[in-house]
Amino acid sequence: MNTVTQLTLYNKMVLLRHFDDMCRKLKMEDLIWSGYHPYTGQEAVAAGCCSQLKQDDCLLGNHRSHCHAVAKGTSVRAMLAEMMGRQSGVSGGLGGAMQFIHAENNLFCGSIVGSNIPLAAGMGMAFKDQQSHRVVMCMFGDGGSNTGSFHEGLNLAALWKLPVIYILENNQFAEAMPVAESVACSPLSKRARSYDLEEITVDGNDVVAVYNAVARAISKARAGEGTSLIEVLTYRIRGHYMGDPEETYRTKEEVDKWKEKDPIKLCRSQLLANGVAANELDEMESMIVKELHEDKSWVLQQPFATFEQAVRHVWIPLEQ
Amino acid sequence: MTETQVVTYGEALGQAYREEMLRDENVYLIGEDVGRWGSLYRSSKGLLAQFGPKRVKDAPLSEAAIAGCAVGSAAMGMRPIAEIMYIDFITIAMDQIVNHAAKWYQLSNGKVKMPIVFRTQGGAGRRNSSQHSQSLENWFVNIPGLVVVMPSSPYEIKGLLKSAVRDNNPVMFIEHKSLYFAKEEIPIEEYLIPLGVANVKREGSDVTVIATSWMVSFAINAAEQLQKEGISCEVIDPRTLWPLDKETILRSVEKTKHCVVVTEAPAEGGWSAEAAAVVFEGCFQLLKKPVTRVTGMRTGIPYGSVLEMQVIPNEEKIVKAIRNLLNK
Ligand SMILES: Cc1ncc(C[n+]2csc(CCOP(=O)(O)OP(=O)(O)O)c2C)c(N)n1
Repeated sequence: MNTVTQLTLYNKMVLLRHFDDMCRKLKMEDLIWSGYHPYTGQEAVAAGCCSQLKQDDCLLGNHRSHCHAVAKGTSVRAMLAEMMGRQSGVSGGLGGAMQFIHAENNLFCGSIVGSNIPLAAGMGMAFKDQQSHRVVMCMFGDGGSNTGSFHEGLNLAALWKLPVIYILENNQFAEAMPVAESVACSPLSKRARSYDLEEITVDGNDVVAVYNAVARAISKARAGEGTSLIEVLTYRIRGHYMGDPEETYRTKEEVDKWKEKDPIKLCRSQLLANGVAANELDEMESMIVKELHEDKSWVLQQPFATFEQAVRHVWIPLEQ
Repeated sequence: MTETQVVTYGEALGQAYREEMLRDENVYLIGEDVGRWGSLYRSSKGLLAQFGPKRVKDAPLSEAAIAGCAVGSAAMGMRPIAEIMYIDFITIAMDQIVNHAAKWYQLSNGKVKMPIVFRTQGGAGRRNSSQHSQSLENWFVNIPGLVVVMPSSPYEIKGLLKSAVRDNNPVMFIEHKSLYFAKEEIPIEEYLIPLGVANVKREGSDVTVIATSWMVSFAINAAEQLQKEGISCEVIDPRTLWPLDKETILRSVEKTKHCVVVTEAPAEGGWSAEAAAVVFEGCFQLLKKPVTRVTGMRTGIPYGSVLEMQVIPNEEKIVKAIRNLLNK
């Protein structure tokens, strides 16, 4: 990968890290109201996968998708506003942090785990039948891969060779449930075999590896060569939600070990080795942080969603 | 005098679990994070340590498999308590519940019993927006073969869960997420509350208010407010939506001649209409006014407490409906 591309990915990860930190604080201040699922440590996945999509490609997310959304190009302002219940949010502030749709950016996120997998197949089928070159990317976790929806959706997509890139974001846990105690096979990419798809597992903390694997899958999909399933191995550094009883399912030593494999640190050291100056990276970072604070101040001025909005768009009145 | 203790809804549930699991070794628990975490609201905390992983099973994220496992094992003599973390996810387990749990007793000529408790929780009040706040109880009332229970307080949840575990029907046990931290004084001594029997929570003479689940507390508050204006409300918690204790309801309406039904679920095609129909069929001639309903609005539950509380019933809406009904 050339240094310019890697630098872009690095900056994206830095943005996501600070964005996620900001959201966590907003949750603590009770300005984000619903369940909030931190993304710390998984930034290479969102940056390496979602930022490769064009606006007219679809992205389906889940309950932990605020960073996926921003990586796909939804603005920090529209995403923050959504999480803070403001009218300028992507769903008008009616969805919150776990479920939202940004129609203009072809972004669809929901909080029913696994449901996005067959939905992605449907979108892929439409693109295939419409003979378009649009593609679909679907993000879900190890937990999501234990649903019936996973198996039904993957089978259909693979059978009909649909232009869908399934990203199995294996962060080692579904809430308190460790992967080893909830999935019968290992690695999880083995599941691809039963749908006659290639078994792909990549290091999810290495943004270059993620990017390359996904780039290949996207070209395949655009060329009409069908579906991919990519297992991205990473680690959820924080609790499933803030303040969950982590001691019930993992040790601090385990978390610390993974912290050493921080995707941002890794990418930074590679960039430095390739001759990028540290102060250049730091300057970019302070600009990112400054802009984020401006975004937050802007959102704090925005009006909350209203009752009129809450009862609108329930259905389309029948035509007379 | 019986000795009492003050417990939360969640703690009362935990006590019911423990007592029933000690009483009958066929009773077991299955669900997502029911063991390690002791479930989302910690109601099964400590049970994994006490009873071990055979009795407290942490399942993969697989609602259809959890429900199917409950049905299969119940047919073979076990007594599962299957937890679906949010009622919104029960959509995924629906086939197992509706087409199997509810059918096998009849299909087997009464030979195969289905002593399952499907525990779940619904409703608004915790700011979780439209895919984590729904009131879906109406669906189950419409399925022959299922018993539907909605406990409204710590006292109720303990006694009702114990009865549900001992019952040989598949029981939909639908809790409310906004009640887990509600406290109440309950007996220390063991007690059961029979299924199918309504509870007159508050006696009154001017109007009968039938309310379910979380709505019971709103109805009581509304009744207390109206008491100051000289309006006397009788508040009935049906406890089980099906089978419905029609007798208690009709006895009350025969006395008050007015009836208001309060549910968090939307009105259309709902149990609130069933309750109203029961009143119309049972004492039409005695009614001074048509039955009134106060229900959730026909919309998705919006994000945040301000808006979600505006689309479901509250004290003010109940008070207004009662004043209207009585022309006061
Ligand atoms: C169908 C369904 N079941 C259960 C839940 C509750 N829940 C929310 S997130 C989660 C864990 C999901 O794990 P995974 O898919 O691995 O994603 P991660 O949270 O690790 O990002 C669970 C059990 C849900 N939202 N939807």
